[in-house]
Amino acid sequence: MDPMPILLILLPLLGAIPIAFLPSERAKWIATAVTSVTFAVSVIAAMRFGAKWTDGTFGFLAEIGWLETVGVTLNMHADSVSMMLVLLTTFLMPLCVIGSFSAITTRQKEYYAWLLILQAAMTGVFFAKDLIFFYVCFEFTLVPMFFLIALYGGDNRSAASIKFFLYTFTGSLITLAALLWTAWSYADAAGSWAMAFDIPTLTEHARTLPLATQSWLLLGLMAGFAVKVPLFPVHTWLPLAHTEAPTAGSVILAGVLLKLGTYGIYRFVLPMLPDAVAAYAPALGVLAVIAILYAALICWVQDDVKKLVAYSSVSHLGFCVLGLFALNPMGLQGSVLYMINHGLSTGALFLLIGMMYERYHTRDMNRVGGLGKKMPVWATFMVFFVLSSVGLPGLNGFVSEFLCLIAAFTATGDAGLPYPGLLGPWFAAFAGLGMILAAMYLLIMTGKVVFGPLKEPGHGHGDHEDHGALPADLSPREIGVLVPLAVLCVVFGLQPTVLTDRLEQPVERLLVDAGYPDAVRAELQRRAGETPARMAGDRPAAETAAVPTPTEVPANVDADADAATIPGAGATGAPDPTDLALIDGRIPAPPFELVKEPVDG
Amino acid sequence: MNTITNLLTVASMAAPDGEPAKAFALGEVVPEAGAAGGPGWAGLILLFPILSLIACGVFAALRVRSKLPAFTTVGFLGASFATTVALYLGHEQPYVVHLFDWINLSWGEGATATTFAANFALYVDTLTLLWMLFVTGLGTLIALYASEYMEPDLGVGYSRFFAGVSIFLFAMSCLVMGDNLVLLYLGWEGVGFASYMLIGYYYTRPAAVAAAKKAFIVNRIGDLGLALGIYLTWHAYGTVEYEALFRAFAEGGLATEAGGWQTAAIPYLFMIGAFGKSAQLPLYVWLPDAMEGPTPVSALIHAATMVTAGVYLLCRVYPLMTLHPAALPTVAWVGGLTALLAATIGMAQYDIKRIMAYSTVSQLGYMFLGVGVATTYAAAYHVFTHAFFKAVLFLTCGAIMHGFAGQLDLRRLSGLRQMPGWRIVSYTMLYGCLCLAGFPYLTSGFFSKDKIMIEAFVTEGPGFRALGVIALVTALLTAYYTFRVWFRVCAGPKHYEMGDDHHGADDHAHGDDHGHGHHEPHPPRLAINSVLVIITAMAAVAIFLAPWLKDMVKSSSAGGGVPVVAGHEGGFWADPHQWMPLVASLTTLLGIGIAAYLHLLNRPAADRLRSGLLASPATRWLPVAMERKWYVDEVYHAIVRAPLWVLGKAMWAVDRWLLDGFVVDGTASLPRRLGRSFQPLQNGLLQSYAVSMAGGVALVALLVLYMPELLEALRGFRGGEG
Repeated sequence: MDPMPILLILLPLLGAIPIAFLPSERAKWIATAVTSVTFAVSVIAAMRFGAKWTDGTFGFLAEIGWLETVGVTLNMHADSVSMMLVLLTTFLMPLCVIGSFSAITTRQKEYYAWLLILQAAMTGVFFAKDLIFFYVCFEFTLVPMFFLIALYGGDNRSAASIKFFLYTFTGSLITLAALLWTAWSYADAAGSWAMAFDIPTLTEHARTLPLATQSWLLLGLMAGFAVKVPLFPVHTWLPLAHTEAPTAGSVILAGVLLKLGTYGIYRFVLPMLPDAVAAYAPALGVLAVIAILYAALICWVQDDVKKLVAYSSVSHLGFCVLGLFALNPMGLQGSVLYMINHGLSTGALFLLIGMMYERYHTRDMNRVGGLGKKMPVWATFMVFFVLSSVGLPGLNGFVSEFLCLIAAFTATGDAGLPYPGLLGPWFAAFAGLGMILAAMYLLIMTGKVVFGPLKEPGHGHGDHEDHGALPADLSPREIGVLVPLAVLCVVFGLQPTVLTDRLEQPVERLLVDAGYPDAVRAELQRRAGETPARMAGDRPAAETAAVPTPTEVPANVDADADAATIPGAGATGAPDPTDLALIDGRIPAPPFELVKEPVDG
Repeated sequence: MNTITNLLTVASMAAPDGEPAKAFALGEVVPEAGAAGGPGWAGLILLFPILSLIACGVFAALRVRSKLPAFTTVGFLGASFATTVALYLGHEQPYVVHLFDWINLSWGEGATATTFAANFALYVDTLTLLWMLFVTGLGTLIALYASEYMEPDLGVGYSRFFAGVSIFLFAMSCLVMGDNLVLLYLGWEGVGFASYMLIGYYYTRPAAVAAAKKAFIVNRIGDLGLALGIYLTWHAYGTVEYEALFRAFAEGGLATEAGGWQTAAIPYLFMIGAFGKSAQLPLYVWLPDAMEGPTPVSALIHAATMVTAGVYLLCRVYPLMTLHPAALPTVAWVGGLTALLAATIGMAQYDIKRIMAYSTVSQLGYMFLGVGVATTYAAAYHVFTHAFFKAVLFLTCGAIMHGFAGQLDLRRLSGLRQMPGWRIVSYTMLYGCLCLAGFPYLTSGFFSKDKIMIEAFVTEGPGFRALGVIALVTALLTAYYTFRVWFRVCAGPKHYEMGDDHHGADDHAHGDDHGHGHHEPHPPRLAINSVLVIITAMAAVAIFLAPWLKDMVKSSSAGGGVPVVAGHEGGFWADPHQWMPLVASLTTLLGIGIAAYLHLLNRPAADRLRSGLLASPATRWLPVAMERKWYVDEVYHAIVRAPLWVLGKAMWAVDRWLLDGFVVDGTASLPRRLGRSFQPLQNGLLQSYAVSMAGGVALVALLVLYMPELLEALRGFRGGEG
């Protein structure tokens, strides 16, 4: 039992209490103190994590009972991926709080309390070992974010907050259904609900399910996670939410909340459903590539800087997803790196745009421009983080983008590879076009906002005078918020081994434990055995009709392997019970009824 | 006679630098610094520019108003140059210097163990040293020149300028010295960024901002090619480190057939990268616009050093360029055609700096032609001589621009050599022009260009003789447009008009404290003049450096491209080595003669010729199209940028109206609409409630009655899926 995860969740939660009782002028200082202390604690936690950083196993195990009759607990654990994301969260929070000082002038108590609660929920997601606990935290992030947007957002905030809430909530409900079904199927097989919500146990169970079942689960899980990422075509909530959210909200949204989606894919989809992932990886890769190019083109025609950066998140996370579905260690490491680097550079861009907005009350590139002349310090930071976002080598963005692309490029079905994949050069080539487009839209934005003749919105609107408290260029407080981000961008750009050394074992363990090389090889064989024209990612259900033709499969395939290619049998080779059996007799009397039991078969 | 095939064999043999062949397995760990025995202080070459950058940053923050940033930069870059010289003096064998780990991954165990290693490590061979010597040397000198040139911006952008120069030197050193393709890529994009930052130095001018953006984006297109080439290289050979790569290549020999498209595509992808960075067709369009930057930048980055990175890349991976038989001929043809095209545009421009920019594109074309006809030695020699004489030309243009308040129009300047204080500029420019034109025997440009043209006739390849003719025609045009500039600007009657801006920075207040306020040109002073003289002297000394350069290239990875001189049968006209100097000399003299007639002796004749061409409808397109740069920018705009913009708009519309509006909001409004459709049921009339109740009861009854069948059907449905 290690207190660290509990501490990291409880600290911000408890910190929200004094905010409620003390005068509102003190709220920001309490929030600053609480988030800073939490960050310090997370650094201590990182140091105590020790050997667990590199050996790829889970540490920080904390077992807390909750609804024990149904097997639901508050168990927590962490591996290096979750630790990194927790550190990202605790690192970004104080910056968000300090960055909000001048922007939030009304209802401060609620604002900072919601921020702290949000931090607790996000940390909970990364630490959760229990499915229900995970889901509760996952969903609960919506509530503080909803209020942050609805109370402190822009002109269109109420529509944005409702769309944000309903859209992601709908997606997650489907994910919940899929997760619950998995738990139920485990309980059915094990005859007990004792461990049914334990994520590692469930993960192992889900791997044994037949391909068709896995495919449905994949659809269900991706419904929630893809909305969260957001992956094309379920991304449309993001630009609106980002544009309307207050600065800190955007930073957290881009920095951490989007990563809940990719983390979900990393933690659930990949380890649980190897066969289905192998079957659908190309289709998901295509979606990622579409997201990269589609969102990048949209960025190009934006006038609102914040909307541009919001769409750029869609484009960037396409790279992240592409890396995940490359299904090789390089891609997974690149993808986790991407999660962190995107949080840093895009978070910083949102902070910078917020600083500009506080001074000019517009984000329209046609109305404000050439700020390099007036705000040289701001402009320097802007150019720096734009370059980080563009993926200039030497800064952080490059390493992750490079790894994701080269991983996708080399994720071919080559038999000699230790981790064959299902993407290939074309995926990387098309995704690489996103690199060019990113340079286009970000530099065009920089060219308008930072460079060129100075252009300030005309005076006389009345509401621009209230920035009298802010200096023309950045204040020391604002510089203090940006410098840590910039430093990390350089450090992770030049010393990515700080991260990659700690990711090597976890990602490889994930791939090996889930049996990826074999699942992918089975998928490749299955494809080779069928008509060559077949498109990747067809419905597996269609395969029942396809007759395996032994003469067409490669010579080294013997009868057993042949059986493995029969759809429904799964990569395990043994003929699995179809899920029909689950409906029938062997249900171990669940403590609560999930399904009305039909007639006795 | 050499043929391509011959050379390819030579290339594959020369590749591994005489190292004993070792068994190469996927992911073999390459010996690190200790094993290879490189001196760790080589890393200082990278460190000095970084220190300089930090110092400039501090000066900017402190708002230093003196020339301190310039002299700090000159000092650090000079130290970098000195380190390079020391490295050169102690050099015997190629070695690797490991500085620190950068991207270093490994996975798998046993037989399938794989690594991806791209570290901050330096690969030092003679090619590296050759490039580094002139990069750091010219960098130092041009920074010194800039200390005077940039003085109107003291305290405003002065520190930023020298910070940019420092970044450039760091990135360029990474590009040249990196021991792997990924570090080369870091330098590659790094110099692109430095170029972006410095082209856009006068950032309040929209033209400068647009040019900076264009340079970065067009370069990015090339960068994608290079990146894909790196991916493919790693995929095919399991390493991106030169040493292991060359070894793998030597082991596998010419893997053209065996490797399939995966190896055959590598040279083409690298080529795209090189064409982007070195401004070749079809990606050359950014370089002429890059002249918006301050002139020292044009001289250093856009003439002497950065733009030769493409040539360096092809020399560095020369063994890989032979992976497909058509790869080198493609390079040759692209180079030859670029040389010709850029020369025709250069003939018709009036801005002397732009003329120099097009001449750079054209000369880079020669270098690629050289690489393409399998003579890396001649290409590298031309890179070397061009670095000096083109630097001189740009720096003299800069001195003129500096002294005449931004005046660059050759119609508005004349007789410079007769003006007091402008003699050094005029005559160093004359020597630069002679080199560029290839004036026989007295200039280094003559020898280096000659070697390329000879090889075009010697090497067997698809249409190489035609390329040789193109190169000769281009040489004629080059001589003409070069001396058009010199005869117009430096010779002839004394006459000038001042420019109307102060180094392009219209809002940089520096009017009265400096010579520009009153309309008198002010001649360059010590820093500019001394740098001009030194670099001109270097351009002359380069005449004698050919044998040294040959040795340098021969013992490097590009050694396969040093031609083996064989005897040629059949007398004078059968041997290009013999007739080329004569023909090239005559061509140059002809070009200079035409220029002298039209632009010195009989200037009205030039105007008459132009108006004559314009008067006839049959010929008027020619001068217009040449002046308008063959409309290449317009064509690119129409076929690339505009469609993409429309596509972006269309995607944006799809996103807003179709995906978000119709699908998402439409779905979201379904419950409400559904509710509305049931609204009439709640009409408060007792009889309608009775009807719905009866209906409901009937439905429930039916369900109960047919429940078993329904369940059976449901089970069948589920079973069908499983």
